[in-house]
Amino acid sequence: MNTIVTHHLLYLTLSIVTTIWVASTLHRHGRVFLVDAFHGNEKLADSVNHLLVVGFYLINVGFVVFAVKYGDKPTDFATMLESLGTKVGCVLLILGVMHFLNIYVFNNLRKNAIIRHAPPPVAPDAHIARP
Amino acid sequence: MKTLTILYDSKCGICRRIRVWLAQQDAYVPLVFVPLQDEFVEARFPGIGALKPDEQLIAISDTGEVWRGVNGWIMTLWALREYRNWSFRMANPLLKPFARSICHGISQNRRRISQWIFGNSPETAARILGEPECAEDTCASKDYGSRS
Repeated sequence: MNTIVTHHLLYLTLSIVTTIWVASTLHRHGRVFLVDAFHGNEKLADSVNHLLVVGFYLINVGFVVFAVKYGDKPTDFATMLESLGTKVGCVLLILGVMHFLNIYVFNNLRKNAIIRHAPPPVAPDAHIARP
Repeated sequence: MKTLTILYDSKCGICRRIRVWLAQQDAYVPLVFVPLQDEFVEARFPGIGALKPDEQLIAISDTGEVWRGVNGWIMTLWALREYRNWSFRMANPLLKPFARSICHGISQNRRRISQWIFGNSPETAARILGEPECAEDTCASKDYGSRS
C-alpha cells in the first residue's frame, strides 16, 4: 500500500469516527434541550433530535468524502502526517462550527417556547368586576 | 387570558395611530380597543373611573385584572407575538423606571405631541391617515392563538 492510499484511509477513518462521536454526543445531550423546547412532548423532541442528527451526518460525511482528493499529495511519511493534520484539522473545525450552530438552534427553539408560554411580567394594579 | 381590552383616548392623534398599528400586529392574546370617550365604558368596566383612564393607558383582562400606565404598556406588548420579549425587557427593574417616565411623559403630553406631529385636529389627522372607523367590536387585533 503506498503512502497516498494509507493517507486517505487514515483520513477517512479519523474523520468519520470523530463525526460519529460528535453526532452521538449531540443526540444524547441535545435531547433534554428539545424536550424542554417542545414542552415535554418527548415523541416530537425525539423525532426532531433524530432528524437533526441525520442532517448533521449527511453534511459532515458528505464533506469528508468530498475533500478526499484535495490537498497536497504526500510523498513520504513526514508529508503524509502533515497533510493528515491539515485535513483532519479542517474537519474538526467544521465539526466545531456545526456543533455550536446546533446548540444555537436548540437554544433558540427552547427560548421561543419559553416566551410563548410566559406569564405576564407585571402584576395587575387593580381588579374590577367583570360580567 | 382570552382578551386584553385597551382603553385609549380617541381624541388624540397618536393614540389613534398607535391603536391602528397595534391592531395590525399578530397577537398571542387578542387586543380589544375601547375609546375612553365611549359612553358605556363605566357600565362595561364598573369602577374604572376611579383609576383615571384619562391620565394613563389602561389595560383590562377578561377576568378583571387592570394594569395602568407603564404596566398597561408592558401588558400590551406582552399580548403581541413579535414584541413579547420587549415586555420582559421593559418590566426589568433596571429599565422599568425609564420606561415609566417615558410612558408617563407621552401620556401627559399626548395631545400636544399629536398637535406637533399632525398639526391638525385628531379628526383631520385620522382622515389623512386613512384610518378605518372603529366600531365597538371590529377593533380587535388578529388572533394568533396560544393563551397563557
